[in-house]
Amino acid sequence: MSAVVLAAGEGERLRPLTHNRPKPLLPAGNRPIIDHVLDSLIDAGIEEIHIVVGYKNTRVQVDLLPTYRSASINYVQQKTQLGSGHALLQAEDVVEGPFVVVNGDQIVASEIVTEVVGAHDDADAPATLAVLDDSRAQAYDGVDVEDGRIVDVAVGPDIPADYGLNAGVYVFEPSVFDAIRAASSGDGTRTLPGAIETMLDREGPIRAVETEGIWVDANYPWDLLVVAHQLFDHDALPEAPDEIPESATVHESATLRGAVAIDEDAVVGPGAVLGPNVCLGENATVEANAVVDNSVVDSDARVGPNATLVDSVIGQGVRIGAGATIAGGPGDVRVGTRVFEDESLGAVIADRADLCGDVSVAPGTLVGPDVTAATGVTLDGSIDPGQEVVR
Amino acid sequence: MCGIVGYVDRTGNPAALDVLDTGLTSLEYRGYDSAGVALADEELTIVKREGKVEALTQALDEEHPDDVAVGIGHTRWSTHGPPSDANAHPHTDCSGSVAVVHNGIIENYDTLKAELLERGHAFESETDTEVIPHLIEDALERGCSRETAFRGAIERLEGSYAVVAVFEGGDELLATRQDSPLVLGIGDDGYYLASDVPAFIEYTDRVSYLDDGEFVRVTPEAVTVSDASGAEIEKPVSTIDWDPEDAGKSGYEHYMLKEIHEQPRALRKCLRGRVDEIDGRVSLDLDLDRESVERIHLVACGTSYHAALYGAQLLRAQGIPAQTFLANEYDESALAGEKPLVIGVTQSGETADTLGALRTAQSAGAETLAVTNTVGSSAARECDHALFVRAGPEIGVAATKTFASQQTALHLLALWLAGGDVDPDRIAALRAIPEQVQSILDDDSAREVAAELTGSSAYFFIGRGPHRPVALEGALKLKEISYEHAEGFAAGELKHGPLALITPETPIVAMVTGNDERARKTVGNVKEVQARGAPVVAVTDGKANVEQYAQHVLSVPETDPEIAALLANVQLQVLAYWIAHDLGRPIDKPRNLAKSVTVE
Repeated sequence: MSAVVLAAGEGERLRPLTHNRPKPLLPAGNRPIIDHVLDSLIDAGIEEIHIVVGYKNTRVQVDLLPTYRSASINYVQQKTQLGSGHALLQAEDVVEGPFVVVNGDQIVASEIVTEVVGAHDDADAPATLAVLDDSRAQAYDGVDVEDGRIVDVAVGPDIPADYGLNAGVYVFEPSVFDAIRAASSGDGTRTLPGAIETMLDREGPIRAVETEGIWVDANYPWDLLVVAHQLFDHDALPEAPDEIPESATVHESATLRGAVAIDEDAVVGPGAVLGPNVCLGENATVEANAVVDNSVVDSDARVGPNATLVDSVIGQGVRIGAGATIAGGPGDVRVGTRVFEDESLGAVIADRADLCGDVSVAPGTLVGPDVTAATGVTLDGSIDPGQEVVR
Repeated sequence: MCGIVGYVDRTGNPAALDVLDTGLTSLEYRGYDSAGVALADEELTIVKREGKVEALTQALDEEHPDDVAVGIGHTRWSTHGPPSDANAHPHTDCSGSVAVVHNGIIENYDTLKAELLERGHAFESETDTEVIPHLIEDALERGCSRETAFRGAIERLEGSYAVVAVFEGGDELLATRQDSPLVLGIGDDGYYLASDVPAFIEYTDRVSYLDDGEFVRVTPEAVTVSDASGAEIEKPVSTIDWDPEDAGKSGYEHYMLKEIHEQPRALRKCLRGRVDEIDGRVSLDLDLDRESVERIHLVACGTSYHAALYGAQLLRAQGIPAQTFLANEYDESALAGEKPLVIGVTQSGETADTLGALRTAQSAGAETLAVTNTVGSSAARECDHALFVRAGPEIGVAATKTFASQQTALHLLALWLAGGDVDPDRIAALRAIPEQVQSILDDDSAREVAAELTGSSAYFFIGRGPHRPVALEGALKLKEISYEHAEGFAAGELKHGPLALITPETPIVAMVTGNDERARKTVGNVKEVQARGAPVVAVTDGKANVEQYAQHVLSVPETDPEIAALLANVQLQVLAYWIAHDLGRPIDKPRNLAKSVTVE
């Protein structure tokens, strides 16, 4: 069976990390989210994968190239982002028969995919979807299931408490495309839950598989810390010291405590202390005597000597100068007019921000991409992309 | 990565050779450092050639039967290990009655080989693959049927594989897969097996994707797919409706743009395992006596020549006398009285001019080193030493990622030849290159500037020091793919003649990074052309305030002066691409040009 992966949206709530790449390429542990998604599909026996790309499409295309593990990958362009249903419509010409649909920015266990595919095989319904008994339904789409059939679809918030979580893992017959076309909302967007409602009305029962297994999504940038934690809990990340790639260098006097994942070419200098719950991306560097605790450090980022980095998400190519201090949460995070109180967040620092030595960052700070901060300044609140912060 | 292909004719009008040849050519993107076919008739005919599929095609044209109905083929891209005639596929058993092509890795081949050697089998290659035909032979000798022998052999394998076998006097193919791709094509004229659909899309668009652990037997009458226990499986057949040309392009319009975007990945591979920031060391896997190198000659052509010019500057900066020669102008007179280390820089390793220069050097007794992208190429085999740039296959005729990888490999070579002890800050700067290239690729300015410049009467590129080779390369890239007139000059040479060419219709692209004397002098040259009304594109890190004299600015991140030249070149690649794109040129296959020039 083939699969369609929806990876065209930016994931705006993950800003400022999505300035240069869409959410599916943000780090889940020390690898992009979409890599985990593709692993689950391939582990579930999918061999032909169509990825719908849109926002910053070339980053996805060059990250994965034409094959991933043994699966061949084709790309389908969604030029304007008009909803998940519209995204799937773009793949109409490249799929045949029943096919799997998953989101490129949500990690799901391969067992969930396997169960949905298995259930659909002997079903007479035009669609089968995975349902989780999960309190997070309120934040997503809820479905009411009776006797293995969907009887109602509700979009959050205010979903009845006994509704299950629509895990976003589907098997569809090609009739879904007509249902999507019929399900346009007033603003021209077409969503998959809307298409499912239409299918319920027009074609009768839709099969639901109540299942369980890892299901991880990041709503906000600081959730990437929780994602890493969950992946460590499920043994889904390579854990140092047993699984350090040959190309990475960890100085013999560095200390690794608890769960730490280190990727190719990464460097950990003398006296550095890492962990627990720390992920170092490809070619990331932690210099001498730096302390990194509960943080995701994305590829090519550099944490300078004697710096302290706690409860933080650090984007690609970020430079944190010598002795800089990001002491960790809890702190209030301001996103536009909204305030998230007491989040356990040190800072989110987006791609290529350059913090000079002795900078200190208040808890809950969001630093935009390409921000430069002069030696010794204090950063607080939300700092726009490209800003130069001077004394 | 390798590509495999198999064919069984159904019509009685056999043309296996053509089909295999077309298939291998289409799979060349999966690798092209050697290729081979086995044709099954009363006897097996095996033909293998190192180099590109083209070399195999020529050999097949000359000497081989074109009326055979059944055959298999293989094309190879080795990233490690020595490729050679003996190591090229297909592989056979002792008696030459079974031939096998394989894509993947047999992890337990050591054990199997030892066991087979003990039983008297003789091996011709060092490959893991060769155990398969011998295992089959072993079972055939014990009286098993072909299919039983094949299944028995596969059962012994651990690892990943797609395998296709043919037999002497037979009209069948036996195949299976585990963790490596294998697709079955069903045509009216014949049946096809391949690593990927493009191999046979010219003949049929009806395909069946085989699953791990499935076996397939193909004869002119039928295709039978079965599971490990032998139970027959009904496989669904689907129809391909996408353009196979696009498959290898990952959704990019051209290979060239894809390859430009692959540079961060390629450069990571070039640096991997070769730099140590903590200890401040560059280490290269070269068995070369550094102490004995007194001077260096670099020989190269085209884009590789520009990389060589850049490399020579880096070598001289390390105190090693180094001179660059166009390979086609290199002769004994350059070697008179000198015993240099001669470095041939060639992407393909097959550039005839460069091979000629290296042979000249060798016959004069000089030590030679190939800096190449192709393991097992003529240059890599013939030179005393080889340094691989690890850029991966490059399909676009205009070299892009391989140039950046050559620059980086030569940078590492210069540091290594000077002893290998390097300031950790320099190592940090090298390690920052992939991300800095990415930052340029994330910037859309070059595309916008291209739209402004397209239609100019000529384009000039100027730079000093490490930016001079980049000026030459920027002009060459633009010429190659846009067919527009472009020239690169040392910035200081402009006033000695070329300034007469400058008009308001001739944009000047000036590389200015840092704020040293070189940068300040180049800013002076920019003022000269600006005063004559030429539009200026400044490629700059903003340190020398050249922006005030420029109509357009292409930014590069701040770094060491030598590395800045690599980054500036990426902006020029993107600029050339979009100018050619706006002009509607066939960017991946420019007129009159070939990817690797194998004639002198």
